[in-house]
Amino acid sequence: MKSFNLLLAGVGGQGILLAAEILGTAAVYEGLNVRVSEVHGAAQRGGAVVSNIRIGKNVLAPTMVEGTADVILGLEPLETLRNVKFASEKTLVLMNSEVITPTGIFLKIREVNLPSLETIIRNIRFFTDRIIVVDALELARKAGNVLTQNIVLIGALAATEELPIKTGTLEGAIKELVPTNYIEVNLRAFNLGYDYVKSMR
Amino acid sequence: MPPKPETLLQDKAGKQVLLLGNEAIARGVIEAGIGIVTTYPGTPASEIGDTVSKLASKAGIYMEYSVNEKVAVEVAAGAAVCGARALTAMKHVGLNVAADAVMTLAYIGVRGGYVIVTADDPECYSSQNEQDNRLYALLSNLPCLEPSNPQECKDMVRYAVQISEKLELPVLLRTVTRVSHTRGPVIYGSIDKPRLKGMLKRDVQRFVAVPRHARPMHDRLLEKVERAKEISESSPYNRVVRKADNGKIGIISSSAAYNYAVEATELLGLNVSLLKLGMSHPLPEGIITQFLEEHEKIIVVEELEPYLEVQVKALAKDCVPKVEIYGKMRGQYFLRSSEFSTRIVVEGLAKITGLKLPIDFISIEQKYEEVSQTLIRRSPVLCAGCPHRASFYVLKRATNGKALFPTDIGCYALGIAPPLSVGDLLICMGASIGTAGGVSKATEVDTIAIVGDSTFFHAGIPALVNAVYNNHKFTLVVVDNLTTAMTGNQPHPGTGKTGMGTHGKRVVIEEVARGCGVRFVKVINPFEVEEAIRAVKEALRTSGVSVVVFRAPCALLLVREKRRLGERLEPCWITEACNNCMACIKLLGCPALVIKNGNVTINEALCTGCGLCAHVCPYKAIRLPE
Repeated sequence: MKSFNLLLAGVGGQGILLAAEILGTAAVYEGLNVRVSEVHGAAQRGGAVVSNIRIGKNVLAPTMVEGTADVILGLEPLETLRNVKFASEKTLVLMNSEVITPTGIFLKIREVNLPSLETIIRNIRFFTDRIIVVDALELARKAGNVLTQNIVLIGALAATEELPIKTGTLEGAIKELVPTNYIEVNLRAFNLGYDYVKSMR
Repeated sequence: MPPKPETLLQDKAGKQVLLLGNEAIARGVIEAGIGIVTTYPGTPASEIGDTVSKLASKAGIYMEYSVNEKVAVEVAAGAAVCGARALTAMKHVGLNVAADAVMTLAYIGVRGGYVIVTADDPECYSSQNEQDNRLYALLSNLPCLEPSNPQECKDMVRYAVQISEKLELPVLLRTVTRVSHTRGPVIYGSIDKPRLKGMLKRDVQRFVAVPRHARPMHDRLLEKVERAKEISESSPYNRVVRKADNGKIGIISSSAAYNYAVEATELLGLNVSLLKLGMSHPLPEGIITQFLEEHEKIIVVEELEPYLEVQVKALAKDCVPKVEIYGKMRGQYFLRSSEFSTRIVVEGLAKITGLKLPIDFISIEQKYEEVSQTLIRRSPVLCAGCPHRASFYVLKRATNGKALFPTDIGCYALGIAPPLSVGDLLICMGASIGTAGGVSKATEVDTIAIVGDSTFFHAGIPALVNAVYNNHKFTLVVVDNLTTAMTGNQPHPGTGKTGMGTHGKRVVIEEVARGCGVRFVKVINPFEVEEAIRAVKEALRTSGVSVVVFRAPCALLLVREKRRLGERLEPCWITEACNNCMACIKLLGCPALVIKNGNVTINEALCTGCGLCAHVCPYKAIRLPE
C-alpha cells in the first residue's frame, strides 16, 4: 500500500489533537502502521496548530513533505491556506467555512484586511481544484455542541472515501476516546458531517 | 486525551495500542518495574510524569512532581542508591538545573536501575533554547539511548534499566519533540513488579563524594565507560538496517533524524547503507569503524550539534582516514539549528550526491509565496479570562508603562505581545528575580520582576533571599494562577496537591516571601483592578524588596471544572451604550472580544465572564453576567 498523508490544520482549542488521536487510533484498529505528529505547549494557546497523520507500512517520519498530502482537513480556512504548500493538484482539501479571526488583527494600527472565504478558496485553487467546504459550525450546532466541529469534519472525511479506514472503525475510535457523557453528541456530529458530504455527491 | 489508565496498565503482552512517545515511556515505566518516578513538568516531556501520575497508586509506584529538576534527580537518586528502580523526566533545559546532581551521581552510581529522560526541543517549539543534550552524555560519561519512535520509547526504558543495573550507573534516555510528541503503534511487553524498597548499606568510599573518595570514583566511572562500550558494541539498537549493494555511500543517523533519513533516501531513490545508532553514548566504535571501511562516502544525518559527526571523524582519523565524511561541520550540508524534516534531509543528500530533487520545491515555494500574501500571523495569546491579562493591565496602569519588567518562564511570557507589552528580559526559570537585582542596580528605573507560582518555587526562592540579603531594590510580582498552566495544569507546592493525587501540605507563597525576610508582602486578586494598582504603587514606594502576589485561578481550570459539571461560565454582554470606541480591544487584546461587521462583539463560547473588559470600558457598556 502506498502511504497515505493527512494534514490537519486549525487553531488551538478546536480539538485538533483529539481529532488526530481518533484518526490514529482507528488506523491502529485496522492493523495499519501510523504516525501522528502533535504540537503541545505554547502553540496551543489560540495559536496555529498542525497535526500530520501518516498511514502506511513504510511510514517512519511523523511529518510529510511539501506537495505530498493526500487530504488536508482544515478546521479553519486561514490555517488551511497556511498549510496549502503540502498540497498538490491531486490533494483533496476538506475545509470548515468558519473563519476564526486572529486576535492580533484588531490591534493593527494600519488597516489589515482579513481575506474573505472566497479569497481563501481562490488561493487554495492555485494548488488544487479538489475542495469541499463544510459549514461545520452549523452542523455542530445542529448536533448539540459547537465544540464538535472537529468530529463533524471527521464524519465528512469518512464520506469522501479517501481514508484507508472504515467508517465503523472511526465511530469505534470516537466512542473509545471522547468522555462517556459526550459520546452521543459526537456521534451525531459525525453522522451530520458524513451525510452532508454524501448528499453533495 | 490521555489513554485511559486501565489501558496502560493492562498486563497483555502482545497487545497493540496507539501511544504518544511520552505515554510509551510511561508504559515502559510500568513494564520495567520502576518503583519511583519524579519530574518537573516541561514541554516536550510533561506527559511522561502526567501519565505516570494518573496510574501511580494503582500500579504501586511512588510518583512526585518535585519542586525542580535538580530535586527530582536527588529524590530519585536517593531511592536508586538504596536499590529502587527509578526514573526522572524533564525537558532539555531541566537537565541544566539538574546537572550539578547528575555530574556527581555519575561518580557515585546507583544500585537500582535509574533512567533520566531528557526531552530536547529542536525548533524551540516551547522552549527558550534548542540545546543538544547528547553533549551531557559526553560531559557526564553516562550512557545515552536515543529512541526514534514510540515503540522504542517504551522498549528502551527497560533496556536502560538493564544497562543501568549492569553498570550501576544512571542512563540518559534522550528524546526530541518529534519523538515525544509523535503517536505510533506500540506493542506491549510483560510487566515487572515495581521495585521501590531497598536499603542503603553504609559505604562511604562509594557513596560519599568527598575529594579523597571522588578521585578513585572518577577512575571507576571511566572503567564503567569502557564496559559501556562493550554493551554499545553488541546493542540491538546499534545496527546496520540496510546495506547498499555497491558499498559507495553509508548514512549514520539516530533519533528523529533517522526517520527522515530513511524516507529521504526512498524519495531520492538513493542506494545507500544505513547505520542506526540507538545507543549514542558511548558509541560502538567497532561497528562504526567497520561501516567506515565498507564505504567510500559517509553522510551523518543528525539534528542540532554535530555530536555523532565529531566522534565519527575522530574515529576515521585514526582508523579509516581515506573515507569522506559529510555533515554539518564543513560544507554545511545540514544546519546546526532548527529541527529537520524529510525535505531538509532530501535537499542535503541531493547536494552531497548531485542527485536531482524528486519534488520541485522551488516552484511550490513560489506559488506559496503568492497565495500566502493574504495570510495573517496567528500567534499564541493569553486565553480569554486569563488572570495574567488583568495583572499586566494593572502593572501598565500602575507604572504608566515606565518600569522595566524582567519576566520568566510560563504562560505569562505571552504578556510581551501587544497590547499588553509587558516583559523586557527573559532568560530561564526563576531568572526574573535574579536579573531584576542587576537591572535595578544598573538603572534608575522602577524594576518589577514577574514570576509565576510554579516558577517561584522552582528557582525563585534563592534569588529572593539573595535580593533581600544584598538589599536590592525592586518589586516582585508573583502571578499566582494556582497551577503550572503552560505545561498542562500540574500541581505545585502552592496547590498542596501531590503527584499521587493526595493532599500534601500547602506551601504558601506570601509566607515564604515573609520567611525570606521581605517586609512588604501583599496578596491581591488582579481582577480587583483599582485595589491592585494601589498595591503595586505602594510596593514601588517601599525601600528594598517588596512582593505582591496576584492570585486568581487559571481560566482553563475554571472552564474545565464547569465543563466537568456539565455547566458553563456565563459570558459578559454588550449593551446599547457601546459606541465601538474599541478601547476594550485596544487595551486588552482578549480573544473573546472580536469585531464583527464593524461592531465589538463578545464570542460567547470563549468568554469566561471575567469582567476585565467591563472594567476598562469608558462607557460602561459591557455588563457582567448576572
